[in-house]
Amino acid sequence: MFLALREMKHAKLRYVLIGFIMILLIWLVLFVSGLAKGLSSDNASSIQNMNADYLVLQQDSDHRLTRSTLSDKNLQDVREYTEEGKATPLGVQMTTITKNGDSKKSDITFFAIDINSMLAPTITEGKMLNHRAAHEVVADRSLQHEGLKLGDEIEDLASGEIFTIVGFTEGQSFSHTPVVYLNFNGWSTISHNRTPNQDVFNTIALNISANKAKQIEKNLPNINVISKDQALQGIPGYKEEQGSLMMMIAFLFVIAAFVLAAFFYVMTIQKMNQFGVLKAIGAKSTYLARTIIFQVVFITIISLLISISLTFGVSFILPDSMPFDLSAQLVIGCSFLFLAVSMIGALLSLYRVSKIDAIEAIGRAA
Amino acid sequence: MENQLLLENISKIYGDGDTSVKVLDDVSLQVKAGEFVAVVGPSGSGKSTFLSITGALLSPTSGRIMIGGKEIHKLSPKKMNQLRLEKIGFVFQSANLIPYLTVQDQLLLISELSGMHNKNAKKRADNLLDRLGLNHRKNHYPESLSGGERQRVAIARAWMNNPDIILADEPTASLDSERGRAVVQMLADEVKLHKKAAIMVTHDKRMLDLCDRVVYIEDGRLSEKQ
Ligand SMILES: Nc1ncnc2c1ncn2[C@@H]1O[C@H](COP(=O)(O)OP(=O)(O)OP(=O)(O)O)[C@@H](O)[C@H]1O
Ligand SMILES: [Mg+2]
Repeated sequence: MFLALREMKHAKLRYVLIGFIMILLIWLVLFVSGLAKGLSSDNASSIQNMNADYLVLQQDSDHRLTRSTLSDKNLQDVREYTEEGKATPLGVQMTTITKNGDSKKSDITFFAIDINSMLAPTITEGKMLNHRAAHEVVADRSLQHEGLKLGDEIEDLASGEIFTIVGFTEGQSFSHTPVVYLNFNGWSTISHNRTPNQDVFNTIALNISANKAKQIEKNLPNINVISKDQALQGIPGYKEEQGSLMMMIAFLFVIAAFVLAAFFYVMTIQKMNQFGVLKAIGAKSTYLARTIIFQVVFITIISLLISISLTFGVSFILPDSMPFDLSAQLVIGCSFLFLAVSMIGALLSLYRVSKIDAIEAIGRAA
Repeated sequence: MENQLLLENISKIYGDGDTSVKVLDDVSLQVKAGEFVAVVGPSGSGKSTFLSITGALLSPTSGRIMIGGKEIHKLSPKKMNQLRLEKIGFVFQSANLIPYLTVQDQLLLISELSGMHNKNAKKRADNLLDRLGLNHRKNHYPESLSGGERQRVAIARAWMNNPDIILADEPTASLDSERGRAVVQMLADEVKLHKKAAIMVTHDKRMLDLCDRVVYIEDGRLSEKQ
């Protein structure tokens, strides 16, 4: 691009300035995106990683696992419709624990599971729960940051029950708290006060097709079948957290579009006379338009490359406890979106260029 | 000799209804190859309008224009663009160089626009700059050139696409009479040497002896005097 490159070389300062603004904007976009992704898994990785497609909830529980109560009767009913092993109960209980003999409290969420079901977590350290032992648990690795080790005992402050950590798993959080897995024997010890004579839990995890899910919801009374995504939205604070971050990202894109539009528009207006001369000596509008598009794309790509390196550079020096998760996919997605946004910003200039009259060059425009 | 440029019964009316102004009224002119024609007239008499119509920058309200035997007044804007690129060389009043291109690139731009950016173009540019005494200024930007040098670059640029006709709108307006005369002399020499047709609009009566013919424009009408 004969004109585009020579002009940028000649007016370095201008283009460096706009490039600088774009670098900062893209950097912020990538950073907030990484933070949103990181917070999302910090908040709800247990649901995201759960080996299930649908969850059964009690009717009118507002997509919130913790508000739903189901009984064995519900489980029997659901199992009528599913294959062996594709429906399994799950108990969810948010609570506070202390390390036995210590006064420091931590918030955790108990997940009660059938240890032979698809919900069984992957063990990264120690061993898996067994069927019988009511007072053994497997905890998310993040509890290690609280100073807990294999073999340590924890006390559930709500029920006063004491459990021993026999294993650790990873990527298991619920509403920003680590998940602690126990079997249903342990579950009845912490929940028996509330429901004396009946085994109750919160939800049933299903590994079934969408059609099946609809069918179950239609045929069984008093329950809802929701997707994993809906369950995520129902985790306390999840929707609000992600929503506000997404709004920030959207605003950054809009700001970028307007900043670029304003910058290139002013530059184009300044160059009207020049464009008139170019048209008078035979340059086509499409040639001038291509020059502008080339400049926009050029600056955007350079800024993207710099911002991406900056973002990854910074992510290395971030502390481990900071939830930041930037995948290549997210970076590529953001980059393409940014390129599209900068093209939109250039539209106004392209419109002006298409309206330029060669006659500007001669006579009056001295 | 054949007419390089032919204008027949050209009229131009600006605006419409109550506010319409008739700037050119039934104007005709023929310019032969190798002929250098000067257009003079009072301010506002329609000289620039006349030149713009001749150079396919502006469409006439009525009349016929032929360049090198080809009718141009009915062409689409896109075709007119192409025609300007291939057949017409402009020298604008204030040189109108592109500020971010070096002297050499000003010329190469023309070949870039016509898709012939190659070694030959470079040779041709060097040649032109040599002839106009600009070789030592090849890599300078317009901002560091004198007014006369800029005007000479503009002339070289107008010559770059080897046009059939050269149109110049007051090329000497920003120059002192000595330099102005040198520039016009150069223009005249080039026209003679390569058998082009040229029209120059000027206010400066001292340049007229360098031209083959002088036409006067007044109240939208052309008249020739000797
Ligand atoms: N776009 C336009 N709309 C309406 N009137 C116009 C337009 N362009 C030019 N005119 C009028 O046409 C007349 C001739 O203008 P033109 O620019 O051709 O004059 P000129 O002979 O070149 O004058 P000068 O010597 O001052 O450059 C002027 O009265 C001008 O006001
Ligand atoms: Mg004029």
